[in-house]
Amino acid sequence: MKVAVEAHGLSKSYGALVAVDGLELAVPAGIVLGFLGPNGAGKTTAIRMLTTILVPTAGTFAVAGVPHTRPEEIRSRIGVLPESAGYPERQTGLEFLRYHARLFGHTRASAQERAATLLDEVGLGERGSTLVGGYSRGMRQRLGIARALVNDPQVVFLDEPTLGLDPAGQRQMLELVRSISSERGATVLLSTHLLAEVEEVCSNVVILNQGKVVAKGTVAEVARRAAAPRRARIRVPADQTEQALVTLSNGSGFDVAELRSGELEVTWPGEADPESMSSEALRRLVEAHVPVVGYDLEGGRLSDAFLAMTGAAE
Amino acid sequence: MKRAWPIVAGQEIRDLWIAGRGLPLTIAYSLLLSVITYLVATNTALNFLEQRESVNLTLQVGVAVAALLVLLAAADAISGERERGTLESLLLAPAPRVDLVAGKGLAVLTLWGVALLVAVPYVWFLGRGVGVVGLALANGLLVGLLLGLFLVGLGLLVSTFSSSNRLSLSVSFFILLALFAPTQLPSGAQGSWAGDLLLRIDPMSSGLHYLGRLIVDGRSAGEELSWLIGPAIAAALAIGAALVASRSLGLRGGAGS
Repeated sequence: MKVAVEAHGLSKSYGALVAVDGLELAVPAGIVLGFLGPNGAGKTTAIRMLTTILVPTAGTFAVAGVPHTRPEEIRSRIGVLPESAGYPERQTGLEFLRYHARLFGHTRASAQERAATLLDEVGLGERGSTLVGGYSRGMRQRLGIARALVNDPQVVFLDEPTLGLDPAGQRQMLELVRSISSERGATVLLSTHLLAEVEEVCSNVVILNQGKVVAKGTVAEVARRAAAPRRARIRVPADQTEQALVTLSNGSGFDVAELRSGELEVTWPGEADPESMSSEALRRLVEAHVPVVGYDLEGGRLSDAFLAMTGAAE
Repeated sequence: MKRAWPIVAGQEIRDLWIAGRGLPLTIAYSLLLSVITYLVATNTALNFLEQRESVNLTLQVGVAVAALLVLLAAADAISGERERGTLESLLLAPAPRVDLVAGKGLAVLTLWGVALLVAVPYVWFLGRGVGVVGLALANGLLVGLLLGLFLVGLGLLVSTFSSSNRLSLSVSFFILLALFAPTQLPSGAQGSWAGDLLLRIDPMSSGLHYLGRLIVDGRSAGEELSWLIGPAIAAALAIGAALVASRSLGLRGGAGS
């Protein structure tokens, strides 16, 4: 497996404040990785280290096969949409892209061509000669994406690209993200708060909390493992509520509570395997001849995993 | 890859002169020189001010105002981008940091060049007939170049390490005022060894003093060349320090960010 981004023990401290603590990462080439975490989890700091903008306090990393000791070479192979990026109000979109293309080694003529092509790609072809000051938030973000692609990068880092966009803008942005991966074959590291969209676009996910990785793997793995449904709601006939309560409470490792007549809430320890615990609860009820008329597992989605792993629900 | 400083300088010059503050500042500067020239020319006509002195006064005002413009433009060059959120995109380019700073410095230096160019007709008008125009312009260019380099380096240095644009501009403005302070010393104090030393190590004071000696006192450049040692050393140190500090150029002010 070719690895596009790897980090070992990557840390960044500001005095006593540890922003990123021993980040371990290995991102396979060609995937879209969701980089998740609550505010202040260290996502932006981690991205800034991986894109050579910040110097790590400790640790090593390599991007697109280039070690961190060669930052200029890393920058020549990556594209970045920074969080809350600013844009020169008095440059046109075309001029902005042309300038950055030239900084990435394009000649005057090829920079012009590249800028025009990218503006078309992100849907700004007809606004290329408009001053950036007149662009909407969504247009600026698309211009930022175009800038990130100016060097045909192997790895693209997108830090909150949908921040402040309306639903239509978010949808357009996610389509762009998808196309960067599928049409260009680039590895995408996407930092966002939109968990539903991550489930839709990303194949893998890393969840950061307080500077540390708390979960990583495919979206399905993380959702299953981290979210770990620890609660189930079981509906039984109202007249058999008491029997169900006794059956499930008898030394089974469950905590059972009656929510209302005919509805019980079963919880089990976080480390227990959710699938076997669910099966065990249902088996006991069936053996006790208690009909199960409804069964809902709580959890199982990435958002549940996120809340469970980051403690954001508390 | 080719050096990036010419690309950065080209874009910065365009931003400064076509879409930025370069033109309005130059117009304001030329209006100020017009007023000064009118006043000193009127005084000369009434014989209150010797013609050489009026040339020197106008040139010195021109240098002082241009110094302010250049220092503030240099002080805004990095911290301004940092504050507007545009620095990160620039830092993500695969260009050495030193190229980014050098390109920005060159662009700011054009402000000084244009300011000196604007001063030419005023100096010519005031100095015609007494044979100081060529001398004033040639030495104004020399002193201007040294002071321009010094101020660009100083402004960039302050800007690199400032956490906010306001801090960068206010520190630079304070430094400029401090640099002009020795010129206001009473002549007795300037004549003492300590006053003389202060005038010589302060690049602004020694540069302006050099111009005065040549234009007003009629001394030769060879005799007074020692007054340019201060500005030359200051220019070299400031530019060198700004280029070395560019390695620490980051999103926050200060090293290692």
